[in-house]
Amino acid sequence: MDAFRFIDLETHDAYINMAIDEAIMLAIKEGNAPPTLRLYRWKPSAVSIGTFQGMHDEVDIAFCKSSGIDFIRRITGGGAVYHDYNGEVTYSILMPKKHPLARTDIIESYKLLCGGVIRALYYLGIKNAEFKPINDVTVNGKKVSGNAMTRRHGCMLQHGTVLLSLDIHQMFTILKVPQEKISDKMISDVKERVTSIQDILNRSVTIKELQETLARGFSDALNIELQTGKLSAEETQTAMKLAKEKYSTDEWNFSR
Amino acid sequence: MISILEANYKVPGGKLVKVKLDVSSGKITKIQIMGDFFLHPEETILTIEESLLGCHKSKHSIEEIIEHTINDSDATLIGATVSDFSKTIMMAWEST
Repeated sequence: MDAFRFIDLETHDAYINMAIDEAIMLAIKEGNAPPTLRLYRWKPSAVSIGTFQGMHDEVDIAFCKSSGIDFIRRITGGGAVYHDYNGEVTYSILMPKKHPLARTDIIESYKLLCGGVIRALYYLGIKNAEFKPINDVTVNGKKVSGNAMTRRHGCMLQHGTVLLSLDIHQMFTILKVPQEKISDKMISDVKERVTSIQDILNRSVTIKELQETLARGFSDALNIELQTGKLSAEETQTAMKLAKEKYSTDEWNFSR
Repeated sequence: MISILEANYKVPGGKLVKVKLDVSSGKITKIQIMGDFFLHPEETILTIEESLLGCHKSKHSIEEIIEHTINDSDATLIGATVSDFSKTIMMAWEST
């Protein structure tokens, strides 16, 4: 059974969260960090956009600024995500490209790693979650988890969000959803496309419950042993530097 | 005269591709290919955009240039195809 360092649920701002992911990748590249699973929340709540998206195209910046919501560009592709502090848990899983769980085929990789989320949902009582290519986990056709992957620094990173509860109004005040994206699916109402664990189960589920089932879900689905750990001093230092010099800068966030 | 052109194309069963285009004297002078697709390695998008500068309005040659750049960079495009990119560029070009 492969061992993964497990960095249990932490709360950071958007810049630190994304900087930690990259700092771990860099450490793995240098052979200074083991494969890692981390869980985290975003405080303040934040919106992250895919690396190829335009910040102003996707996000109502004025609204974010007036509401104290951070906005950040990820290093991964994919779409814009609203990370509500009270409404979701994010995970990142990182490993060297040569790791047995790092498949060459990208869709296959998503499917394998999303298995951790699907198993976690199963433990919460949602038995019919499924992987929907390219990068979603859905329940009854509605998205409950979005995921994104990158391969760089000789490393594979997948991070993803699992929705616990959903304030649709807030989400779509912050995100500008292109008409094309909706019309393709012949659905005009976003409520038909996105759901959350609490909506599905019709009961209150705590962050702690989701946190615990995500750890168990990844461990069981991927057959990995989670060894509780933390960032090295070097990783922390790199993360601080990246947060300051990259992820919090307009140069990065508004590069598109 | 420079015109700034834009188009969105939702790939059926795939992702959204968005193109912003500046054209002068029938050639691309500035281009951004945006959207929620995946491209590994991600930096390839800049190489693709650069390779399209000076390009004429031809779906075929636009497609060839992108294809060539992607092959050269050993890149993988997910959620959209080279043809979807060129189609969106042509849609933007014809959006005046």
